[in-house]
Amino acid sequence: MKTPSPCVYLDYAATTPVDPFVAARMAECLGRDGVFGNPGSTSHEYGEAASERVEAARTQVAATVGAEPAEVIWTSGATEANNLAIFGIAHYYRAAGRHIVTVRTEHRAVLDPCRELERRGWRVTYLVPDRGGVLDPAQVAAALRPDTVLLSIMHVNNEIGVIQDIAAMAAICAQSGNARLHVDAAQSVGKCEVNFGALGVDLLSLSAHKAYGPKGVGALVVSRRRGVQLEPLHYGGGQERALRSGTVATHQVVGMGAAFALAKAAPRQESERIALLQDRLWHGLASLGGVLRNGDGARSVPHLLNVSFEGVEGESLLAAIRPHIAVSTGSACMSIHQEPSYVLRALGRDDRLAESSLRFSLGRFSNEADVDTAVAAVSHAVERLRRIGGA
Amino acid sequence: MTYNELTRRYFENTPCAGVLSGPGSYRGAAGSRDQGTWVQFDVQLDSNAGVTIVQKVRFLAYACPHVIAVSAWVAERAVGLEITDQLPESVQCLRERFAIPVEKLGRLLIVEDAWIAAVRAARAATAGLPPRLG
Repeated sequence: MKTPSPCVYLDYAATTPVDPFVAARMAECLGRDGVFGNPGSTSHEYGEAASERVEAARTQVAATVGAEPAEVIWTSGATEANNLAIFGIAHYYRAAGRHIVTVRTEHRAVLDPCRELERRGWRVTYLVPDRGGVLDPAQVAAALRPDTVLLSIMHVNNEIGVIQDIAAMAAICAQSGNARLHVDAAQSVGKCEVNFGALGVDLLSLSAHKAYGPKGVGALVVSRRRGVQLEPLHYGGGQERALRSGTVATHQVVGMGAAFALAKAAPRQESERIALLQDRLWHGLASLGGVLRNGDGARSVPHLLNVSFEGVEGESLLAAIRPHIAVSTGSACMSIHQEPSYVLRALGRDDRLAESSLRFSLGRFSNEADVDTAVAAVSHAVERLRRIGGA
Repeated sequence: MTYNELTRRYFENTPCAGVLSGPGSYRGAAGSRDQGTWVQFDVQLDSNAGVTIVQKVRFLAYACPHVIAVSAWVAERAVGLEITDQLPESVQCLRERFAIPVEKLGRLLIVEDAWIAAVRAARAATAGLPPRLG
């Protein structure tokens, strides 16, 4: 069993450690003396106790994102939530139209279901944001058609941290009549305010493990007020309003509820602290010269900083910093085939700059020493590789 | 991507990185930064008793860790050998020595092309002929 060598973790956008408080709540639902019952078995106290925990967690998640508890459908994570939203809407409303609008910079958990629907005969329009990663609502208005049944847009981009103007998109969708708005908010909770009801969103995908909860659990929030209907992805015991059959994993959803409650209770100063750390990181890296920020910093969450380094080969940069810091790269490393990030390519970065990008994501346990270590490690690597590369 | 110990060592230490200049230094390069891999070798020769020996080698590389490590190894190993347009070890042997995925074979050929270009530049200059690029 391999355990990671101690180095600075700056990849909180990929996943977060489970908060100890959350882990303790989850542990209460596992053992023989705990709340291990099937929440669907309400014929006895074991099941009732589990059901109470599940519903309490549902209330916590709903309260964090401004939704009603009954609107929260548990899933295995944001990927399943995105699939349920996209396939669920597409199939339920297929008689009304077979056109979907989304954005080139979406997560693959949105793009791949859209491509699969294209394969099955649906039409998909992929909008291109500006060079800062921001989508103009006017682009959405122009793309919607009478047969558009779904607009799927992420709230906070997972690679560049840019926040889209969801309220404006929702207003446009409402005017269109037919199109429902799905928002992938996997990166949002704990980083910026999410108010499902106020935004006028129809469907909202959530993830627990991006917010100090466990992996393997998420939720799709489905608006009841707006009367949104879905076809389920699979069938079985009819749990979760028959939209997601299968025994609810009590410990997982309890963990998600606890994590979201912690996120909601986090003081405003935490966001300011993270913003100061990001500023320190950016200025430290920028002093190298030839460092380009990816995404519109003025429209981004403070937790995420994506930068490209001129004159540095991407794989070597990652190999050089790997012993010191854990970050994500602008390359999707699938075996040896490095593919430049499609998100950065959509923003107009060339292949070399896309490959030499690093995504730093800060979190609850990040501090100034971490940032200084990262700046020192990256500076050393970039200067060395530029020297070797003759730049 | 994982790297074997030899690759890690030569990538981290990069012996012989740099350039040579002045009389008796010859340069050859191959690949392109735009395509993701570029390698340059500078060689300095010592001709005595009718035999031309590689006296000093320096390299530059904009490349992945495997290519940087191999370039550094070649630059180090070539010193003291008679000048030849063959690498100190074949591309196939280098691929095995550094545990390089077969998909990266093309990048190793860029190392070889850069070496050949440097050797040809040296030969052309010492023979009073215009340099031929590899």
